[in-house]
Formats: sequence, C-alpha cells, structure tokens
Amino acid sequence: MANFFPRWTNWLPLKIAVCGVLMIGGLTAATWYYVTPKYTRVGYEPIQPVPFPHDLHVSQLGMDCRYCHSFVDVAAHSNLPNTQTCMNCHTQVQKDNPKLEPVRASWKTGKPIEWVQIHRTPDYVFYNHAAHVNRGISCFSCHGEINKMPVVYHAKPHSMAWCLECHRHPENFLRPDDQIFNLDWKPDDVKPAEFVSKYGKPVGVTDDWAQKKTLTQKEIGQTLKERWNIQPPINCQGCHR
Amino acid sequence: MKHVFQHPPEPETGKRYWRGAGDLGNTPEFRDWLEREFPAGSAELKDDEWSRRGFLKLMGASMALAGFGLNSCRRPEAHLVPFTKSAEWTIPGKSLYYATAMPRRNGALPLVATTVDGRPIKLEGNPLHPSSGGATDVFAQASILDLYDPTRSRGFLKKGKPADRAAFDGDIEKLRAQIQGDGGAGLAFLVEEMHSPTRERLRTELERKYPAMRWCVYEAAASDAQLAATLTSFGTNTHLIPRLERADVVLALDSDFLDCGEGDVAGVRAFTSRRRISESKDSMNRLYVVENRFSLTGSMADHRLRCAASQIPAFTFALARKIADATTDAGLSAILATVPPSASGTGFDEQWITEAARDLVARSGTSLVLAGASQPVVVQLLVYGINSALKNIGTTLSIRDVARNPRTLSLLQLAGEIVAGRVKQLFIFGGDPVYNAFRGLAQDPATKQPLDWADLQKKVPQVIRLGYHVDATSALSQWHVPLAHYLESWGDALTAEGGYLAVQPMIMPLFGGMSEIELMNMLLGGPKVDGPELVQETFRASAPAGDFPTAWSKLLHDGFAAPVPARDRTATLNTAGAGALGQKLWAATPAPTPESPEIVFVRSYSIDDGRYSNNGWLQELPDPVTKLTWDNAALLSPDLAQHLNVVTGDLLRIAVTDAAKDAKGQQVTRELVIAALIAPGHADNSITIPLGYGRKMPGFASLPYAGGSVEDNPTTADQIGFNAYLLRTVSNPHFIVADGKAVESVKVEKTGGTYALSVTQEHWSIEGRGLVREATLDRYREDKDFVKKIAGDEELPATLPSLYQHPAMTAVQQWGMSVDLNVCTGCSACVIACQAENNIPVVGKLQVSHGRSMHWMRIDRYFASEKGYEEDRREWPEDPEMVHQPMMCQHCENAPCETVCPVNATVHSEDGLNVMAYNRCIGTRYCANNCPFKVRRFNFFDYTQRPVGKKKIAGEFSTYSEYLGPLTSKGAPDIVKLQKNPNVTVRMRGVMEKCSYCVQRIEESKIAAHVRAGASSETRIPRDSFTSACAQACPNDAIVFGDVADPESRVSKMKAQDRNYRLLEYLNVKTRTSYLARIRNPNPKMPDARKIGVASPKEQESNEAARPGGEGGREQGKLNPAGARQPNHP
Repeated sequence: MANFFPRWTNWLPLKIAVCGVLMIGGLTAATWYYVTPKYTRVGYEPIQPVPFPHDLHVSQLGMDCRYCHSFVDVAAHSNLPNTQTCMNCHTQVQKDNPKLEPVRASWKTGKPIEWVQIHRTPDYVFYNHAAHVNRGISCFSCHGEINKMPVVYHAKPHSMAWCLECHRHPENFLRPDDQIFNLDWKPDDVKPAEFVSKYGKPVGVTDDWAQKKTLTQKEIGQTLKERWNIQPPINCQGCHR
Repeated sequence: MKHVFQHPPEPETGKRYWRGAGDLGNTPEFRDWLEREFPAGSAELKDDEWSRRGFLKLMGASMALAGFGLNSCRRPEAHLVPFTKSAEWTIPGKSLYYATAMPRRNGALPLVATTVDGRPIKLEGNPLHPSSGGATDVFAQASILDLYDPTRSRGFLKKGKPADRAAFDGDIEKLRAQIQGDGGAGLAFLVEEMHSPTRERLRTELERKYPAMRWCVYEAAASDAQLAATLTSFGTNTHLIPRLERADVVLALDSDFLDCGEGDVAGVRAFTSRRRISESKDSMNRLYVVENRFSLTGSMADHRLRCAASQIPAFTFALARKIADATTDAGLSAILATVPPSASGTGFDEQWITEAARDLVARSGTSLVLAGASQPVVVQLLVYGINSALKNIGTTLSIRDVARNPRTLSLLQLAGEIVAGRVKQLFIFGGDPVYNAFRGLAQDPATKQPLDWADLQKKVPQVIRLGYHVDATSALSQWHVPLAHYLESWGDALTAEGGYLAVQPMIMPLFGGMSEIELMNMLLGGPKVDGPELVQETFRASAPAGDFPTAWSKLLHDGFAAPVPARDRTATLNTAGAGALGQKLWAATPAPTPESPEIVFVRSYSIDDGRYSNNGWLQELPDPVTKLTWDNAALLSPDLAQHLNVVTGDLLRIAVTDAAKDAKGQQVTRELVIAALIAPGHADNSITIPLGYGRKMPGFASLPYAGGSVEDNPTTADQIGFNAYLLRTVSNPHFIVADGKAVESVKVEKTGGTYALSVTQEHWSIEGRGLVREATLDRYREDKDFVKKIAGDEELPATLPSLYQHPAMTAVQQWGMSVDLNVCTGCSACVIACQAENNIPVVGKLQVSHGRSMHWMRIDRYFASEKGYEEDRREWPEDPEMVHQPMMCQHCENAPCETVCPVNATVHSEDGLNVMAYNRCIGTRYCANNCPFKVRRFNFFDYTQRPVGKKKIAGEFSTYSEYLGPLTSKGAPDIVKLQKNPNVTVRMRGVMEKCSYCVQRIEESKIAAHVRAGASSETRIPRDSFTSACAQACPNDAIVFGDVADPESRVSKMKAQDRNYRLLEYLNVKTRTSYLARIRNPNPKMPDARKIGVASPKEQESNEAARPGGEGGREQGKLNPAGARQPNHP
C-alpha cells in the first residue's frame, strides 16, 4: 500500500500541539496582563477640571493631607475638599491664576466642582479609610507617591489580590503612628534606639535592636503588629457586606 | 462507631404543632410543597413565563450580537462632587442621629432617625424615653418607606388640575375673608387624632377668632365607647392607664392590648416584663383571653375562650355576677341590678367562668380585667365595676388627668351639620373619609335614603383637603394640598402617658408639602413660617425655667421634655352614674347562628385602618396570625366554613340588610364579596374581616418600590383586598349581628367564584422536629431541664462526629443570638426592621404565592393541638394554641450550606458568622437546597432594578412586569434609592441572600473600636454596645444579639438559662442562634388546663390516672413523647 500521508505529515501533530500550546499560553498571558487591574487601572490619569498639583502643595508648601482630606481619619470616605477649603488660601494666593477659574466660579455660583474619580472601588466593596490610617497604614501604601504627583494618577492596582497582600502580611506596610501622613518616610528614617524605647520588640527577638544602625520594614512592621494587635480581616465580611 | 442520624419521627399521639390544614393532615399537596427546595414553581419558569429553552435561544442570539458592541468597552467616567460650603455636622459617609417622634392616634412614639447625607434611612426607638425604651413597632419601622413613596401627592391640585402654591395662598386669603365675615359659622375641620399640643393651641386660637367653627376628630379604627364610659364612671378629663407590670392575673375581653401597632409599645413591654423569667423559681403573670378570632393577645394567652364578639357583653355580665357574688361588692352589685335579667348569656363554659373569676378574686388588687375598645359602653362600665370590686382601681388601673376640649364633634354630628347645610368651608386633614367613614352617616331629608360621606362632601361648597395621596377624598375636594410627612415637618406630640415629644424634620419636604399646623397658621393669618416657630411658641409655655434656647436645644437633642411626674389621681367609681347609663344602653344581643353569623371588623395588623395601604413592606408583611399577604379575607372557623361549604379562597357574598326603611318603604342592603380564609381557633358563627384593604387611589401603583421608572411602573386601578368599610354603619361600628333593631338580617353565601390568596403559612415549613418547645410553669419547676428532653436531645453523644473540616473561629469576639419564645408576641416589628436595614426588596403578591418572598427573617406561626386533622370529615381541632417563632439564618458553625457551594460564595468568618459574598455567588441555589432551616432567599428577578407587578397589556390581557425582563426600563427611581442603606449591598438578580446578623453593624462597630484604639492594642468592641436591627426593634427584647465568647454579655446570660435549646441539634449543625422555650402558666383548676403547654397530654393523662393525687403526679423526664424519638444507631 502506498504511503497515504506524505512524510512531512509525521511532524504535523507535534507542530499543531506546539502551536496550540503557544497560542493558548499567549492568550492566557495576554489576558493575565492586559485584563488585570495592574494594566487597566494603573496609570489612569484623567484630565481634571483644575490640574491640582499635589507635589506643589505637599512637598513644596508642606501641607498635611488632612488639611483638605479632613475626615480621612474619622470616616470611611476620604472626602475631597469643599470649594470653601480651596478659597481659604486662594482668595489671597494666586487669586488671578486662570487655572483656578473653575474654583472661583464654583465659589461664586455655589455649584460644586466635579472632579473626575480616579480610585474607584466597586459598590460591593466597603473600604474604610479611618480603619487604615489610624492603625499604621499610610496613604502611600495605596495611593503611591501622591506628594510627588503634579496630577494624580492611579499608582497601585487596587485589585483584591493586592488588598490581600497586605491583609495577610501587614508587617510589610505598617509604620509608626506619627509617620502615617509623611509620604516621604522610609524605614531607614527610624532611629532604632528611639523606636525600641517607644514600641518595644516583637516576642522572641533577642538581638539588641538599639545597637543596630537601621531597622528593616519587616522588623518595624512586626513590632507594630504585635504592639497594636493588628489582625486585618481576611474573610469576606471584612470588605463585602 | 458509625452514626446515622435520622430525623426523629413525630409521635403518632400527643401534641402536634402545625401551620395549616395541609401540614396537619399531611396532605399530598403539602408533602410536595415541603419536599422542594423552593415551593413549587418558584424555581421554574412556566405558564405565562418564558420557557428555559426559549430563554437560552434568545440569550445565544444576544451573546452573538454583543460581539459587535465591544467597541463600547470604555472606562466609564465617574465624578466626585464635594460640597461648595461645608454643611453643619455632615461628614461624608457618616450617619447622623436625630431624635423625633411619630404621631399616632393612641399617643406618639419617640424615635431616633438615622440620616445619611441628609436623608433619613432608618428609624429606631428613642432609648432615653420610657414610652419606647429603644423599641419600635411595625408601623414606625415602615413609615420611613412612606416618606419615599413614589406615588405620594406631588403638588397642589385645584379641582383636580395642577395649581401652584401662590394660587392656593390667594384662595386661602379669599376664604379667610369669608370666614372672618361670619365668625366661622360655615367653617368646619375634619381631622385625625394626633395629640399635638401645637395643633391644640392653634385650634384654640382659631376658636377664639372664629367662635362658631366646628372641629371634628374621626379615627376609623378608634372607638369612643371607652371615653364615654370613663366620663360617666370617673368624671370628665380622666384617662385610665392599665398598669400591666403590676398585674398578676389579666383577663382580656376582646381586648388586643398586646398589639403594639394599636396600643403603646410601653404597655406591651410592661406586660412582658412580668412574663420574662430567667430561672424556674421566677414567677410570671397569667393571661386569660376571651375573643372571637385569634389575636396577638390570644396567642399569648394561658387560657383562651372562643366567644363571638357580640356575646362578650353577656359573658362580661356572667363574669361580673360571679365576681359580685365572691366579693360582695356593693358597687358592682348595684350596676348589675340595673341590667335586665334577659341579658345573661347562656352556653358559656360555667367552670371556665367560675375558675377564672375565682383566680381574679384571689388576686384582688393585682388582677386586671380589660375590655376591648370596640366593645360597647355597657361592657366598659361592667369592666370598671369589676375592677373596682377587685380593688384594682389605683393599683393596676391608674386614673390620670387629661385635658380635653369639650367642643370636639363626632363624625355623626358633623354629618348632621352638613345635611342641615350649615357647613360652607370644610378642611379635611389627612384621613380618607370617602373611603373609611361609616356608611349611611345621615339620611336624606327628602328620600330618607342613607347618605354616605361622599354624598355629604359634595354638599359642602368649599372642601380643602390636606392629603398624603391624591385619593378618593381628594377627588371630591376643591383643593388638594400635599401633606408633609412627619419626617419633613416640625411638630410636637404627646405620648400615651402624656409626655411631651418634639417632632423634628429630617429633610425638607420632598414635594413642597405642608403640615397641618402650617395650614392652620395660614388660616389664622399668621406670618409664613418655615421653621419651628409654631412649636417653639407652644413649648415656651411649658419650658423649664431658665434660658429658652438651652431648653429648646435640649428638647431637640433628647427628643422629649423632662417628664412631668405623672399625676395619678384617686377616684372612685360613680356607681349610680354607671348604673344609670348601663340601664339605658343595655341591649341583649341574640346569639349568632350559622345561618346568620356576626360580622366583626378589626383593624389590619399589616396596614392599620388603610393609612398604610400603599406601603409595600406592610402589604407584603404576612399577617402575624393568618400569614396572609397583600389581601384581607373573611376569617371564619372551620365549623362555619363547613356549614357554608367553603374552603380558603372561595368567595363569599355578605349581605347586611338594615332594619330602617326609606321613604318608599324599601330596606337598604349592603353587600360585600370577599374571599374566605379558614382560621383555626376562630369562634363559630362569627366572621372577622380586617379593615384597611380595598382602598382605591387614582394613580395607585401596586408595587411602586421596585425598580423601573415611576411612569413605567405597573399602575393598576385594581384595588388590593376587600373594602369592609362598605358594611360599616354608625349603629354597627365594630360588629354586625342581626338583632332586629338596627340590622334586619345578615346573610352569608358562597358565590361560586374563587380568589387567589397569597398565604405564607406553609412556606418554608420544616415539620415538627422539636422546633418549638414549651411547658407549663409547674412542669418547668419540677424539671428545669425539660427542654433538653424533647426531640431526643439528651440521647445524643457529647461530641458528634463531622466529616468536614471546620473553620477556625479564632476571633476574640464571637457573635450569637438568643430568642426568647416566652416574650415574643409575634408582632413582626423585627421583620420590617430587617427589611429596612438590609435593603430587602418587595416582590409582589404573585411572587409571594410562588414562595419567592425575600424576607430574611420570618415569624413561623405554629398551632398546637391535641387532635390531628381528619381529612375526610374536614374536622379541625377546635381550640388550638399558638406559638410564634422568629426564624432567620441560624449561623450554624457546621453550616451545611457552606460545604455545597461550588464557588465558596458562602463561607465562615473567624468570628463565627456564616457570611455571604454576593459578588461571588453564581446562583446555583445548592446552598438553599441544603439549608435545614429554609432561610436562604434567592433573587429570582431583578426586583430593585426593574418593575414588578401586574401590567395591563390590552383590554383583558395582562402580564407581570417581572416576566418581561429586558423589555422593561432599568434603574430605580431616585426617590426609591433614597431609602436604601448605603452600608448594605443592593443585590441583583441571580444572587442568593440571607440573614447576615447585620454584618454591616458588626463591622461598623469593629472599625469604630479600631479607630478608637489607634496606636494601642485594645480593639475589643465594648460589651453590648450595638445590636442587630431585629433585636433593636423588638418591643419585648425577645431577640438578644451579642458576643457569645463574653460570659458577661446579655446574650451569653440568656444562653446560660435552663430553657435554652438549639434547633436540630442531632444534625450537629451547631447553630449560633438558640431559643428559650416557651412557658405557659395555666390555672390547674381550669377545664382546659390539662392540655395547655404540655408536650404530650396523653402521657400526662395516664400518669394522672396512675396517681390520682392530681397535680404532682407527673413523673420527671417521662413527658417526652414515647421512645419514638430515638436516634438510629445501627
């Protein structure tokens, strides 16, 4: 019997299989990357009615986050400032700057400014700012280096996996309670002797931390976690009600 | 060892707990209903619905088409809009709490309103005030929905045409000139009872200005018999207040005093305070009830006697005679002497009356006899005489001074004035007299035909109506003015005890409505007010000495003025006056017969006298006794039903013929066609019809609270239920019986038609597996662990094996609940509170009948009786008892629902909750199938986004909007969204939901504790610092929620009691909710004592036979039904 299939067909199944694997793998990888919040959210930087420069207000003028976001440590929402808050200064500073025209118009007409929302949690997620900023989590952890942004953009993915990263290991993010709103804070800024005298050490640590030059984030975080009894919920009800 | 646990079979003999005929008779239909995960049809699309196949075809096509639309995938832009200027106190996302009060006809209820971003979303009782103690009732809970009623009146109407405020102001000015001209000779007001001191003050000012004006108060569900009797017996301006907390024995004669919706919450609390026991040596009160239909009071009774309402006078007479004989009280004997001997009824259980009277006399001074407000004056007089003979006046019945304006007219008097043509300007505030006034209020002078209120109203040239809806009364008025809700207007009110409360608005009137006092102020020509000026002026007179603004701020902050010490006065019964009045009024009523039964009117437990008829929550609330939703029905006893040859759902024609004849010698016959509902425990030859249904309103939407636009909502002219007001006349306000004097005949016959009623009594049934447990007080004292000996709990091994791994419940605080069946009256305030708190949708009558109601908690109503149901002879047990059992997710530690969820949408949390992640749920409904308590609810339709309810297509054809799916408009009207609780997810179609133990409240408290902790480690929530919505609303603290890991918490103390038991213990589900068994306190000498609150009367009988000693003859531990309840150990 003659060869019904030519010789090259011997490799065909393997080629199909390899192509298939590559295609499926490629699709999976592409979806993995392009459809996740890491891609879809991070970097979102819409045009705002007023290009409010956080870098100028925070880093150059040294304003505290809570001057404008005044209820961040008492309420679930971190409120945006009222027009009134802007006008506290801008009746005197930069009072003719054309970029501030929407603020002045709002103040005159009483119609609020409509800021474009950047960080948006779905309706079934009940995030609470006060619970975080009062317990050692800085604005930086979720919003990135806001203090260096000329215009705010979405810096972190805010996906559920990302939330759980911290809820499972809060020690990687906790910082001393007086450094929450200091967005430039680094673990290296901590003076070990001072830290130990104020917060102590985690159970079981025998090293003399006071002799150390610096403390790592993990060491700081572990101490604070124990000291403050930090047990972030990793169950559904913590965020979904 | 292998354990196979089987449900303990129900004993063949002994006491049975049942919900309806199907349950009791174990009919095939009932089995079929029971064995389904959801009731028949609820999980399938059939009949007029789409077939699954058709649905899939359409879905396939739309999926294919959806591909073309992918270019619209773009990030939607949302905006954040801060205030321009800060609003006082407002913190975005934080609730604010304000004290206010809900005016009610029997005295206002002090409340605390929760507002979020300026909109009130929830009402709770004011815990500082004794009239509420933090509790509320169904109507207070549901009144928040009325505020956001999309069909409420939205503007001024002049002769039915939209007009504006300016035009109204102009007309009022003209009217005022007219009134001033004749000193108010043509002016009349028809108002509802409100107990508002400011309204009273303005009324007095109006009377001073227009001395000839008339003021008429009409309340459809109230009666002035009690007032008239009090006036004669104790003098003018007196008010009697029952002191139930002091009463050891209470006998209620057709008195539903445990109905919070009617009476005051404080009264119910006072009663249950004597009912609550924590250990077996505690004592409790005893309640005798004589009534024609099962009421909430009847369900709490230790001894209940069925007696037709029209025979209560005869019964009272018989009882009074016994008490007069026993006490030899001269006053009571004097009153009795005036009653003609023909009045004494026959056919009452002699032993029942004798022993009840003996019990009352034995507890002279701490007993109390109460007569229902609907009973005639003679009954009230006799009852005052009885209480006086029992030395209860001043002890269990206080007399208090209450100022009354003697110039108040009754509706009958006002009707006389109108017929005489003297009323020219009529102001109607609230109410709906065209719907609910007595029929035949006056007679036409020429034709002698009776005139209804609608005819009378047409005779008045100027009618100005201040109404909440544009209803039948508004349609006959020259002006309709939108009435502001009490949460939109300033006001004040008095509690039932006379305490002064402030009514504080929470929001500006949504549709520019006016309050009654604003309109009265306009008539007085006072300056226009937007603020509290009118109330401030009233308060100024009674404000405590000192700085007025401080006193005013304190009033608004607390919600009430510092209580004035109650001035109880001592008064003795005016026996001569009472006797004289009684003699004049006494009329023996013939006993009703099967051929000519009596018709009794009661107000509805769900929608009161009809004022809440457009409230979806209340319409869908199962009646606490009949479990009927969306309708009323003629309740009748099984015997009468058999006589009339009707079953539940058959239509009856009730025809009442007046004795009076018109000018042509014709008699007037009033007819009502109404569906029958067989009500076990109902008196024979008596038919009870709840009032308040069948109210027609133009633009009345059957389900306005669902999604879809207001315009798109299915507006049907169909009324809901049957209007029993059509039968009600002045001479027969509360019951009709063919006595030959006012009523010639009462005829009831079957029409042959049927009507679909949505009764939930057999929904979610779980058969009698020792779910409700009860005992008598004596038995409890003998064996304090009786509760563990029912359903074979004591035979279970100490630790039951389990196949599954259990979540580690590691949190410091663990949540749990305890429900005390002994003080649960079944009032259902918790059900509505849960609905308001948790954004639970209304699903409509059809869906309820399919078993798709969404209530997270329900109240199971069980009848208990000795005998079973004889299917062939349709023989029902005659005197069942009733038990209410609130039922919600039990938060099992070994939750059967969790193990079957394929997507982990329902899991256990570390603090012991069975949590539901809606966004994970894919709607397999396996969990509901596996739930032994049937407490999981599935969103079969998109109730919150799309319209629900009957929709007319063309002519006769109609369908239900929910079945039209995507063809209807999407999105809820803004006004409906305003009510939603922002802390609870609004669920969508295809998602399972259930009681969450108010997880949002737990988390809120937890977060608050963490915020307080800050840089410290103390993160515990303070003990009992918050509670669930149901527990907060409960007037009797029957539900207690809290931390079960803390032995000092209230819930732990409840759970530590002897009476504590968990449901279905043998399934090893380890429920977090537990129940405290019901204890009844029967009088052992009563004829029915043998069968009250006893697990197995048969056994008791045999025990007693063995030991003729009587009471003490019951052996410990033998009372659980014979060995039938054995777990199977093969």
